[in-house]
Amino acid sequence: MKRKRIVFKELLWALLFVLAAGALLGCASRMLKPERTEYGAVWRAFLAEPEDSMDYLYLGSSYAYCDVSPAVIEQETGLSGYCMAGPEQTMSITYWYLRQCLETQSPRAVFIEASALHFARFQGFTQVNLAYMPMGVNRLGAALTAAEPGLRTGILFDLYFYHDRWTEITAEEALRALAPAQPDERRGFTAVQGTAENMDKAPFERETQSGQVYLENLGWLRKTAALCQERGITPVVLFHPTYSRLPQEWYARIARDMEDTPGVLYFDLSAQAEACGLDPMRDYFDAGHLNEGGAHIFSGFLGRFMQQNVPALAPEA
Amino acid sequence: MSFLSPGFLAFFPVAALFYFCLPARYKNAWLLACSFFFYLCAGVKTFGFLLFACVFTYFAALRLEKKPSRLVLALALGAHIGLLFVFKYLGFALSLASRVLRAAGLAFSDPALSLLLPLGISFYLFAAMGYLVDVYRRTVPAEHSFVRCALFISFFPSLLSGPIPRSTQLLPQFQKGTAFSLENARRGAFRFMLGAFLKLCAADRLGAVTAAVFSDPAAYSPGRVLAAAVFFSLQIYFDFFAYSEMACGCAEVLGFSLIRNFRTPYFSRSVQEFWRRWHISLSTWFRDYLYIPLGGSRRGSTRRNINVLIVFAVSGLWHGAALSFVVWGLLNGLYQVLGSVTAGARSRLRRCIGLREDGRLCALWQTACTFALATAAWVFFKAGSLRAALAVFCAMSPQRAGMQGSVLFKNPAELWAAAVFIALCLALDLLSLRFDVPARLARAPRPARWGAALTLLLAVFVFGVYGTGYDAQDFIYFKF
Repeated sequence: MKRKRIVFKELLWALLFVLAAGALLGCASRMLKPERTEYGAVWRAFLAEPEDSMDYLYLGSSYAYCDVSPAVIEQETGLSGYCMAGPEQTMSITYWYLRQCLETQSPRAVFIEASALHFARFQGFTQVNLAYMPMGVNRLGAALTAAEPGLRTGILFDLYFYHDRWTEITAEEALRALAPAQPDERRGFTAVQGTAENMDKAPFERETQSGQVYLENLGWLRKTAALCQERGITPVVLFHPTYSRLPQEWYARIARDMEDTPGVLYFDLSAQAEACGLDPMRDYFDAGHLNEGGAHIFSGFLGRFMQQNVPALAPEA
Repeated sequence: MSFLSPGFLAFFPVAALFYFCLPARYKNAWLLACSFFFYLCAGVKTFGFLLFACVFTYFAALRLEKKPSRLVLALALGAHIGLLFVFKYLGFALSLASRVLRAAGLAFSDPALSLLLPLGISFYLFAAMGYLVDVYRRTVPAEHSFVRCALFISFFPSLLSGPIPRSTQLLPQFQKGTAFSLENARRGAFRFMLGAFLKLCAADRLGAVTAAVFSDPAAYSPGRVLAAAVFFSLQIYFDFFAYSEMACGCAEVLGFSLIRNFRTPYFSRSVQEFWRRWHISLSTWFRDYLYIPLGGSRRGSTRRNINVLIVFAVSGLWHGAALSFVVWGLLNGLYQVLGSVTAGARSRLRRCIGLREDGRLCALWQTACTFALATAAWVFFKAGSLRAALAVFCAMSPQRAGMQGSVLFKNPAELWAAAVFIALCLALDLLSLRFDVPARLARAPRPARWGAALTLLLAVFVFGVYGTGYDAQDFIYFKF
């Protein structure tokens, strides 16, 4: 009996030690990870938002966080939302992002900017996209299914990527990282300045992926749509107005595939820049991304478009 | 699977947990399975050699016990040495022969061999050969259990880089078995963490600098090349000491005790003493199985000196199949020969200038000289070839004084970190002369123990050299 008590006591102490070590390393990770407030993957600010306060979520790559300003949409329509996009965010990461977002938010619609259907299986920003996700089952799932094997250790253990920042971190930065997160009025939007050159030669053709990679991406998109439907959310897939376009046959194929995906609303605005009020010579940062002015115009248009075309977001809904 | 890989950090707790939960009769079999798995993770292709060594050694030992015969021993050792020769030295021997024959005017081109070097082969074959000699000498009986014999050769903590186990020390522990002890586990864990600290905070930080300087010594000022040579002396010590500590720590958690491989070698007052305190498991192996059979010091000083040179040349070759390793070994042997030849004169000189033999000043001078001699020899070891070693020595030449060249640490914070961690590691080294640091930490009151463990963890994970952006340095002795 006495022996059992000793063993139990020691196990309890061991558990406490593990917790203390975890807390210490967690604090170190948080202090050393660079602050992220723009260019997507802005999880800290997102998690600081009140629970269940969003009408919609906007997911995708830089085409989403550069083009869509939730603040302008709210001003225009009263709909509140957040752009939880990441740089070169693949469809598989989008799926895990949505799962994580739905832990704190219950939106009525989820918008997925569809350019990632023609991203490679792994793009160049997996580390940034996943290392800022809250630690948990979704991050583990993302690390195992959406990250290059060589990055998995770092995605599951922040210090692996960021520990060497001890040489550059300031006390102020460290304290800010430990302080509770604050909401950000930009809500995931990043304004980029500048005007695209060579737009007189636009539109340009984007590089496409093989059929196999496309099918894999489509599989993740369908999984995302199924997750939305499971939670009673309307999944909306759309292409933004762009001058960096896929070959026409791909748009046609994607439209067919979206028709075959139950419950999905699909909109192709890729060739609708002028209808959206955008001037290619003024409103584009490059052929694919809108600059700040362009994003302002497009977001206003998008807000109205949402209310008119997505029943879940209609004023009477 | 390196001790510091996430794979090992997941594997070891599972291996230890099952080991302690299993009934006594299955424990060794479990450890053997774990050891084979550990080796298979390092490479499937070379597993057959380890298996062959286990099976061959087992039957050879039984045969030697039944009928101790010099011929059988010679054949058994010959088979092991042959295996080692083919995979480690054949390419080197052929290229050497080709050079000699070409110099003699004979046309000979050595075939380009691409034999893979089985990981840890020098370590496990030496363990096996030592065991066979022990059985022949009747120092230990032959192990009748294949599991225990194979486990002795392939025990995973010491399989890839030692310490080279001795049958008299390890086999009885497998026969007796071990039970879980909280103190052992704590001591082993502390030893492992100290090893990780030495490796990641000190050795690998210096490793980045030494690799850069030795690959292009002409780009650095003489002082910096000299500093890099000193850094390599420290790097190789911290690196190998770290590995040995981690190996001993893992074994200790399981309740086993391995040979301690280092005893503050850089605080030695002579090269002879240095070699009694450096890579002890290999030095004692050579002493017992080569130096003494050659006659040791029993046949006069000339023969003794020749024996020392033979042992150190072989030791150099053991480290690698290159002339630079042979020169490194011979240089260390030569230091010892010259040391013993000049011992009387040096003693008289000390008396003449009034330097007390047991005084601090004398100790400091001798320690500094020993370190300088060891450092000069390490240049051959690190450089990889005689030409490269010569380039390093040339780059240290005072004629190049005034040359600025590249800096050793691009970030001043890294320089400070290196200085602090070297000082800390040497302080730990000195402390270990007075007591066993991990054992003392394991017995400390809980707050002190936790404080030490958490500080070590934090230091390793924050200041350690690992992760992306770093060129992960393998343990230096892995390639031997």
